[in-house]
Amino acid sequence: MSACAAACMLRAPGMASVTIRQIRKTYPGTGLTILKGIDLEIPDGSLTVLVGPSGCGKSTLLRTLAGLERPDSGEIRIGDRDVTRLEPRDRDVAMVFQSYALYPHLTVRENLAFGLKLRGAPQSEIDARIAEVAPQLKLEAFLDRLPRALSGGQRQRVAMGRAIVRRPSLFLFDEPLSNLDAALRGEVRVEIRRLHDRLGATMVYVTHDQVEAMTLADQLVVLNGGVIEQAGPPLEVYARPKTRFVASFLGMPPMNFVDATLERVGSAVRARGKGLDVEVARARLPKADAPSEAGRAVVVGIRPQDVKTTDRAPAPVDLRFELVEGLGFESHVHGKLGEDGAPFVARLEGDEGRRIPKWGKLALEVAPADVHVFDRETGRALAE
Amino acid sequence: MAKASKNQTMDETGGRRSLLGEALVHLALVVATAAALYPVLWVMSLAFSSSQAPSARVLPWPEAPSLDQFRAVVGTHDAAGRWLFGRQLFNSLSVSIATAVVGVGIATPAAYALARFRFLGKERGVWLLMATQMFPGVATLVPLYLILQGLHLLDSRAGLVLVYATTSVPFCVMQLRSSFEAIPVDLEEAAMVDGASRFQAFRMVALPAARPAIAVTALFAFMGAWNEFILAATLMSRAESFTLPVALQRYVGEHGAAWGHFAAGALIVSIPVMAIFYLAQRHIVSGLTSGGVKG
Amino acid sequence: MKLRSALAALLAVMGALLVALVTRRADAARTLVVWHAYRDAEERALDKVLADFRAAHPDAVVESLAIPFDAYASKLEAAIPHGHGPDVFIDAHERLGDYRARGLVAPIDPALVDRAAFDASALEAVSLDGKPYALPLALKCLALYLRAPTWPEGKSPASLDELLNGPGVRLAYEASGAYTHAPLLHAFGGRILDDKGRYAFADGPAVDSLTWVAAAVSRGAIPEEASGALVTQMFSSGSPSGADAAISGPWLAADLPKGIAYRVVPIPPVRAGGPKPRPFLTVEGAMIAPKPRDAALAGEMLKFLVATPSALVRAREGRQVVASRDAWTDPSVANDPLLRGFAEAARDAMPMPTSAAMRAAWEPTSRAIQKVLRGDVAPRAAMDEAAHRYADVTRPLPRPADPRFPLLLLGLVGLFAAFRAVRAARDPVFRAEARASLPAYAYVTHAVIIVTLLVAVPLVIGAATSFFAGRAGSLSYVGLANYVEILTARGGPIFASGSFYAVLAVTILWTVCNVTLHLALGVALALLLARPALRLRGVYRVLLIVPWAVPSYVSALAWKGMFHRQLGAVNAILKAIGVEPVAWFSKFATAFAANVATNVWLGFPFMMVVTLGALAAIPREVLEAAEVDGATRWQRFWRVTFPLLRPTLAPSVVLGAVWTFNMFNVVFLVSGGEPDGRTEILVSEAYRWAFTRQAQYGYASAYAVLIFLLLVVTTRLIRAQKEAA
Repeated sequence: MSACAAACMLRAPGMASVTIRQIRKTYPGTGLTILKGIDLEIPDGSLTVLVGPSGCGKSTLLRTLAGLERPDSGEIRIGDRDVTRLEPRDRDVAMVFQSYALYPHLTVRENLAFGLKLRGAPQSEIDARIAEVAPQLKLEAFLDRLPRALSGGQRQRVAMGRAIVRRPSLFLFDEPLSNLDAALRGEVRVEIRRLHDRLGATMVYVTHDQVEAMTLADQLVVLNGGVIEQAGPPLEVYARPKTRFVASFLGMPPMNFVDATLERVGSAVRARGKGLDVEVARARLPKADAPSEAGRAVVVGIRPQDVKTTDRAPAPVDLRFELVEGLGFESHVHGKLGEDGAPFVARLEGDEGRRIPKWGKLALEVAPADVHVFDRETGRALAE
Repeated sequence: MAKASKNQTMDETGGRRSLLGEALVHLALVVATAAALYPVLWVMSLAFSSSQAPSARVLPWPEAPSLDQFRAVVGTHDAAGRWLFGRQLFNSLSVSIATAVVGVGIATPAAYALARFRFLGKERGVWLLMATQMFPGVATLVPLYLILQGLHLLDSRAGLVLVYATTSVPFCVMQLRSSFEAIPVDLEEAAMVDGASRFQAFRMVALPAARPAIAVTALFAFMGAWNEFILAATLMSRAESFTLPVALQRYVGEHGAAWGHFAAGALIVSIPVMAIFYLAQRHIVSGLTSGGVKG
Repeated sequence: MKLRSALAALLAVMGALLVALVTRRADAARTLVVWHAYRDAEERALDKVLADFRAAHPDAVVESLAIPFDAYASKLEAAIPHGHGPDVFIDAHERLGDYRARGLVAPIDPALVDRAAFDASALEAVSLDGKPYALPLALKCLALYLRAPTWPEGKSPASLDELLNGPGVRLAYEASGAYTHAPLLHAFGGRILDDKGRYAFADGPAVDSLTWVAAAVSRGAIPEEASGALVTQMFSSGSPSGADAAISGPWLAADLPKGIAYRVVPIPPVRAGGPKPRPFLTVEGAMIAPKPRDAALAGEMLKFLVATPSALVRAREGRQVVASRDAWTDPSVANDPLLRGFAEAARDAMPMPTSAAMRAAWEPTSRAIQKVLRGDVAPRAAMDEAAHRYADVTRPLPRPADPRFPLLLLGLVGLFAAFRAVRAARDPVFRAEARASLPAYAYVTHAVIIVTLLVAVPLVIGAATSFFAGRAGSLSYVGLANYVEILTARGGPIFASGSFYAVLAVTILWTVCNVTLHLALGVALALLLARPALRLRGVYRVLLIVPWAVPSYVSALAWKGMFHRQLGAVNAILKAIGVEPVAWFSKFATAFAANVATNVWLGFPFMMVVTLGALAAIPREVLEAAEVDGATRWQRFWRVTFPLLRPTLAPSVVLGAVWTFNMFNVVFLVSGGEPDGRTEILVSEAYRWAFTRQAQYGYASAYAVLIFLLLVVTTRLIRAQKEAA
């Protein structure tokens, strides 16, 4: 393997789908199991985003892909190669670190050249690649500076450039934007997506930021507690969260959860709880036999932006609010359902929020298809 | 290079190390530790044996284990029946502790000024301070004697403390300066915004923040005084004002030496420093290099 | 809060301590201070005598001080001229000439000298120009120790040839010292100094005696590279592993284990019936400082020390061969086999000359003997070298120079400085800056004052000494003569061994070797210790810094012992793995290696600890990035870790280099310059000029100044280069 390594490393990115099977990882000493059997397919040329709260194992999974951690069991294949036991240098991957990890004693140019030099690329090749990459990342002016003379954004671009010049078969990003300020973050986010589209390379991207996750991903993977909660196209995951956790993690403000009981009313199924009486769409229920679900204790999830004001009485969603946050283009209304029900946030479009008082009652309704239903015990969506 | 990658055990991360690599690391460390301890064990074996002369052996184990050497060294009394060893131990302790306190006391404000203020003569002063370290002590012994005589501090522990402390000042200043530089200046600025004077900011913010470095610096000043014997032998003129290293030196005479006594005394002298090192090892690492890495 | 109260308590204790430290005992009406360098039995005997004296003089305060032998002479010299020294001190007679020249000793009041009480020769030894400068206390010389049963009572070898004839090691004897060689030299009719006091270790008899000893050593009858410790060890174990005969002084008896039956006889002739080998005789005497605190009391002390009762105590308890005739009428002394043997040996002995020439002769003579015994050179060549070296050490003082010119120069420089100061004081920019600096000065003034007083002033005085030559008390200004002599290698070949340039080369080699090894070892161990999840890390770390915690003179002496030719552990290990033992200090390479090993051992923990701290500051992600970028472990170290360590390690390396350059302890104590002064570094060379070669302080401080200039210029160059980069 290593005999071909040097030669392989310099080739243009080829087939680089990634297959992860049953990866487990327990940290010695602490006994903490951080990855509990991960299975994942990363198609060639896709941008897969691993997202989840801190400690969910997303960084560990990424580092396992890089070869910086070795799993206790399981298998990782990049393309047709089993890389599970390979050292990072033999995997043909490049990684952009959260702290950028630029070599502080090397100039930008030397930082970019580092990996190529180690692989014995000829100087002419190195120069050519740097000449190609530097303008893309607007680094020409800084090539002979040391990293400490660069701004945060510039450093970040050097870190990306260092990965790009390598032309690896797999790019790994470990929260690359978290050290940038908000404005720059949005800008670079778009750049990364453009970069991906241009290179057509396989990329795995770790973040805890749902906006990054939603906007960047071809495939979104939500991790929690060392297992994959859900994987799929981001809008699909957003629209049909498989678990209460995924539902709560995506969306801003987060989804409201209300304890309720399913009841059959005619041909429809309604979810009833304190200050809540809404119809549930068939699609949100188990396909097999929806009627038999009557009486089941569930948690109903309603996104704040899926409600709108209504004149119907009694109100399907009876919000007693005590705080209105006006953002101009929308308002967030905070309160409780019914007299002493679950806390609830509603988002009102445009200047609707301006017309309501500081506190009071609000009658809201929600489309049956927008009512998510989760099992109260397992937290899984009832729909399969 | 090919070899290195073969048995590769990653030093940076867990989970990817081979047993062989691990074993090699421990082997290397055990060998190094053995080499580090061997001479000490050798001294120890001599101290615990009953003969005065060393003999050729590979294993540093006393031939006829006994505590005679220690008894003889610790039990030194002078003609008047005073417990000389006890007095000399007290001298060593008091002089060394006082040296550490006085040396660091002198050096700390100066180091702080060098770290925080701009002033005339700063660069030149720092350079001169460094330069004093380069002049061999051989030539300064006699002038020092004359100065102490002028100050009426010959043969007094105060004089010895003063000399030791002052000699330690250049090193202490260098050491402390970099630790003060490593403390974010915001801390003191915050204190001054809160109403502290410049000096209060130093005393109440910078000083506590530099505590580990100060402790380590004090340790080095202590060690310097604890181990010194040329100055002590020259400046002190009464047996009960000698420090332990001078007493130790007495076991080495014109014709031959009482190696057993010397070894026992050497162990007694070494033990306190070893104990402090053991207790302070973590701080020594951080204290020596705080503020070392800049850019 | 807790800290503050602890600090307050500490300060209170410190204050009390300071008061206690400063208050000194008021001098009593009649005070007497006695100094000596005795140890063990001799010290106990002297203490007993002093106790008797106190009992006899209840009104007097008698203080005694035992001083390490190494510090004795320099301490006398520092203390006596300033009234801090002893009133009465005990020392060997051969130093009298030197002491008188330096004004450290006064002639004894003739009224105190009862000539009939001493052997004429002993009294003769302690007299200069016919005037006694000390009262003889004890005689010391070499004699032959013989062990029973090989040498039963009544059976002594008729000659050394007879003694050495036989298998195995026959005689434990330090063959390589000038002092121990002297009896043989004398037996062959040679001298170290001739009758006129000129260096005479240069003619036929010296060749004969050296050839004789070299032959005995090479056939194994006398151990090679013997030291005092080896002589003790060999004679205590006896044949077959040791020897049944030894040539040594009374000090050997003190170190022998109890229960060994032996006798002491004068050293027999080399060949039966030949001339007697006369060892040098040292007469230990009680001397009086020029201005005793209480002259009468000092006189009484002198008389008391030599009086028969005291002499008996010193003989019985201190095992001294006392010089008082009366004591020998006491059967307990006269019948003591050891004392009798030495007394007999002393009768034939040759009093050691008191001249400066004698003291200058030891080093060249010993080195010549060592060279011959090692087989490095033929006796005659060694002697030529010794003569040259002797001339070198005793060369006449440079001619005094006219001090007016330098004074003028000094005045001009002072004037110029004053002029600049005045101009600066008028400059408004300077004044503004000075005003802005005032707050900072509040933090540094005390340090500046005390460092100036106790570091800078001694340094300047020390440096100024380099323009002078001669003894303390009679220094004369010689301008740059000392420097000229040093830099022209005292007229010899530029790279002759012992020349400034040869020693400088060794010093540079020494510094480079040490710093490189410190760095390599320190960094390597730190890298191992920094591995995450390393088991027993704390244990390793603590044990590895142990060498740092041991005082360097202890470690140096321990290592010297470990490199001992016969008794050392290093050779024992070599022997255990089947390698020929090495005579470590007989060749430059091995002696230098021994020094380096010792100093590396002493210094690597510092580097290791500094590296550990620096490693902790390297971000882990940077190393991981290098790993992902394809670096092997080796490449990661050289391309990432090491470049990142460099800025942190650089100051420590420079500091370490300066320390190593001036690391006096190790070179002085481990190899002691052996072989032949070739492993000496500049600092130890300076020390030798100051303390062992005629106290040439001016010369020594010229060395010190040169060392200083070298270091300053080098560090400046390094810094300039760094700033340029």
